[in-house]
Amino acid sequence: MAERRYETLLLVRPDQGESGLKDVLTRVTSLVTDQGGTVSQEQIWGLRDLSYEIDDEKRAYYALVEFRATGPALAEMERNLKLMEPVMRFLSVRQDENAPPARLRVDEVASDETRRREDDERDGSSDERAEESPPSEGGA
Amino acid sequence: MPRPDRQAGRPPRRRMGRRKVCRFCADKGMLIDYKDDRLLSGFLTERGKIIPSRITGNCARHQRRLTMAIKQARTVALLPYQIVYP
Repeated sequence: MAERRYETLLLVRPDQGESGLKDVLTRVTSLVTDQGGTVSQEQIWGLRDLSYEIDDEKRAYYALVEFRATGPALAEMERNLKLMEPVMRFLSVRQDENAPPARLRVDEVASDETRRREDDERDGSSDERAEESPPSEGGA
Repeated sequence: MPRPDRQAGRPPRRRMGRRKVCRFCADKGMLIDYKDDRLLSGFLTERGKIIPSRITGNCARHQRRLTMAIKQARTVALLPYQIVYP
């Protein structure tokens, strides 16, 4: 059966703590491997603010798992995820076969840049900001 | 006397300014990823709605992928469904 590349983003309840998050990750990994899949990468993004409240929580631990598995294996894994109490939400996405592996923590770069930006503002120089800001054009 | 190349009653629409180019076509290295909430948030209004390609100039293919990515990001609370002002 065709193995495909997937990644799953997990949101874990904040009351679980780092150790609870690790437990979830090991369980997810074994779910994948038990079904004959292989995990290629695990990322822990840490405790993050949610854009909106989910189950009365304002924050959650984010973790990303990259793996290869068959379709039924993914379905079985997702079925188990739904049963896992500490997992608030998850999203599985099929990855393109030749897509680059997920970069570590998109937000790390962001926070670096905001820090730099704050430095810039303190210095009174505000170059290198223009490249990043997406469309600010008004309707033509 | 009506000119043959013009519809009666409606003046031709004039385009102002320069033609917009799809940013994702222009820069091949720019990938649309639901995890890149910083990139995606640039295509939202201050209320959190998706900005139409008519405004941003994105091509249809990239606008489709962008829309998909934004909706996925909303699902995992990386982006808001709406931004409410007091």
